[in-house]
Amino acid sequence: MSDADSNPDADANADADANDAAESGDRDYLRVADISKWYGDEQVLDDVSFEMDRGDVTVLIGPSGSGKSTMLRCVNRLAEAQEGEIFLDGEEVTAPDVDVDELRREVGMVFQDFNLFAHLTALDNVALGPRRVLDLSEAEADERAHAQLERVGLADQTDSYPAELSGGQKQRVGIARALAMEPKLMLFDEPTSALDPELIGEVLEVMHDLVADGMTMLVVTHEMSFARAVADEIVFLDEGRVVERGPPEQLFDNPEKERTARFLDRIASHD
Amino acid sequence: MSATSTLALVAADSPASVGAVATALTALVDGGAAPLQIGELEDWAFVFRNADYLIGGALMTVGLTVASILLGFLVGFPAGAVETYGEGLPKRLVESVGVVLRGTPIVVILVFMYFVLGVPSIDLGVVTLSGAVMSGILGLGLRSAAYQSQIFRATLGSVDDGQLEAARAVGMSQLEAIRHVAVPQALRRSVPGFQNEFTIVLKDTSIVFAIGLAELLTRSYDLFVERTTAVLEVIIFISAIYFVLTFTTNRALDYLGEYYAIPGGESA
Repeated sequence: MSDADSNPDADANADADANDAAESGDRDYLRVADISKWYGDEQVLDDVSFEMDRGDVTVLIGPSGSGKSTMLRCVNRLAEAQEGEIFLDGEEVTAPDVDVDELRREVGMVFQDFNLFAHLTALDNVALGPRRVLDLSEAEADERAHAQLERVGLADQTDSYPAELSGGQKQRVGIARALAMEPKLMLFDEPTSALDPELIGEVLEVMHDLVADGMTMLVVTHEMSFARAVADEIVFLDEGRVVERGPPEQLFDNPEKERTARFLDRIASHD
Repeated sequence: MSATSTLALVAADSPASVGAVATALTALVDGGAAPLQIGELEDWAFVFRNADYLIGGALMTVGLTVASILLGFLVGFPAGAVETYGEGLPKRLVESVGVVLRGTPIVVILVFMYFVLGVPSIDLGVVTLSGAVMSGILGLGLRSAAYQSQIFRATLGSVDDGQLEAARAVGMSQLEAIRHVAVPQALRRSVPGFQNEFTIVLKDTSIVFAIGLAELLTRSYDLFVERTTAVLEVIIFISAIYFVLTFTTNRALDYLGEYYAIPGGESA
């Protein structure tokens, strides 16, 4: 499990501060503070705040259009917040003078639609970043790509092109591609939503392994059982606002807000 | 096939050559020539006696085509990229120049280059390219750039934005993402459009006759003015040359397209 769980003090802190993060001293590996964002006149994020410790897994849930993905994308600046601040490991990522390319080397992202590079083999998909961005030699980059593909169980598919892979395999290449940059933080944007039901398991399995390795992960997903199993904190967003957040057992079993309960009911009725 | 219908075909293909066709036609009528036969041995003998002259013209055609396509690529590819990814003034400027070049008849562009701009000759050491050749290359090449830019604008634009975003997400700059992700895929998708463009430029080189260059079609006029009964034979002969040039190049590009095709298709 994560570092937070192996440390009783941090765990206790997490519980105590779950709804009052501003006072938290150590939960600031990732700190999202009062983020607001508008598309034109429409406000998509409204004063969103949460914090994560190193090795934490935070899952953003909420109905479609609630701003989960946008929130995720603000963290690696694929989307720009108009108000508020985000800090990663002490550095303000929302500062105007931040080199976004440098920031993104440290923040891996996995996309709903995989977004693999169609003209490259699985190996080259994973090695491209280390080669072009980290300036590793061809051999070093390939070695690193091999290792990451092996980690996601695709050691025998290194020469396959994306179109030759199943959805589950594509998404695992996507995860390996992000891991090959050795990021401080992994962002998952609905990583299983585009998959056939029978392929979801293999991707979740890889994500479980990452949790076990202590990876810090911010995940947008509708896989509630995965969220319940691995999350240190669940953040429920609706209409761009944090309605409620807390550890999974609290939020899933004893939601404080009526809106949360209604959402969870609707999700449950589909299972 | 009658002489007039053959000539009408030629005239329709290259409007700029109306004058030369009219000359040939007048010669035919004055001579009271009968409808042409494909099998006139003496006329074929005449064609083959002058084959060197025609092949010399074909070399001019090939040279102009290669140079124009190359110039068109070197200018058209960046222009297409600016139209796809650029914004503001550079994008508007490139778009406007493209609209003007595509909207102007090629004969007007060539006449402008040669008679108005007076493009100078260039000494390349091994050969000297005359002002007319340079005008032809510049005129055909820039017009081809205007068309090639649209091929690349379409194919660059067809590469899924998600892939570019994924490249940005691992820390590539926009330029790196375009170069390593969009360009390799766009070039593959550009092959069919490029085949069309090549064929069009090859045939349009005939219009350099307007600035006095003796390429394949111009030289064929010289011949059938000299021997009016051999018009059909000359046209069949040069058509065969055009066919060999376009067919082999298109097959080579087919092969290139297949060689670089992405295994399994393009879905990612």
